[in-house]
Amino acid sequence: MSAGTQSPPRWAEALLERLLSAREQETVVGDLREEYVESVVVQRGRLLANLWYLRQICSFVPRRLFQKRMEGQILQATSLFTFACACWLATMEMLLRHHGYGLRIVIALCIAMISMATILCRLAQMEKRNEGWRWAGALLLIAIGGHAFLRNVRATHFEGFAFLISLALVLQGVLLLFRRVQKGGTEYVI
Amino acid sequence: MLAILHLETEAYGRAVLHQAQEMLRRNVSAGSVYTTLDRLEARGLVRSRLAEGTPVRGGRVRRYYTVAAKGISALSDAQSALTAIWAGVQLPTEVSL
Repeated sequence: MSAGTQSPPRWAEALLERLLSAREQETVVGDLREEYVESVVVQRGRLLANLWYLRQICSFVPRRLFQKRMEGQILQATSLFTFACACWLATMEMLLRHHGYGLRIVIALCIAMISMATILCRLAQMEKRNEGWRWAGALLLIAIGGHAFLRNVRATHFEGFAFLISLALVLQGVLLLFRRVQKGGTEYVI
Repeated sequence: MLAILHLETEAYGRAVLHQAQEMLRRNVSAGSVYTTLDRLEARGLVRSRLAEGTPVRGGRVRRYYTVAAKGISALSDAQSALTAIWAGVQLPTEVSL
């Protein structure tokens, strides 16, 4: 079998290139192709070698996901979503006034405030100054989202919308918690 | 950085990956190695240069890494810290356990 037919699938290489920065595309794809052709295919066969290649691709996903730009975009989108949902929930609670509506309105307003603060701080590109608030907000979002998630899972009637909001809250909280802060740089905190 | 030092002039991505696996005695994913190399370079601990690729790589260039002076200093600090931590410590023998 020639080296050409033993090379990784073209779609897999194209996918890997999408996950890499322009600076790394050639070198990393070349390294993995070399390893695939000279070592992995010979030792494991083509099918397992392709699985190995897929595993290597997957190992680049977290970095891509948490790259400053993409991470910021996801955080912005989830913040907008949870802000809209919290406003909607608060309005509905005020109109319907079911038992215990006061507490639910307070929680919804808390979520809306955290989400709005996240969006505004990102838009204003604020420098590192709100560490404590960021941590508090993130933990509160995770607690509320986690509680809503567990409650929904245990409930007899599964509510898809509530499930989606709870997932968004947890995701927003995690992104906020692990947001990278550049020391002394101009990168915003939240 | 120790993997790069071990490899001397042959420290390109794939070789570093192999060396890291050998030193750690476990499988290491490519993503974690390249991420680490990228961060080390961003901090000025390692330097890299490009070199011509081979036909097996489809002509793609290789990136060779070397440990920068700042990296050597950081390694030296880490070694001193480790030596200080272990100073005077004697692990109990199997009999005394």
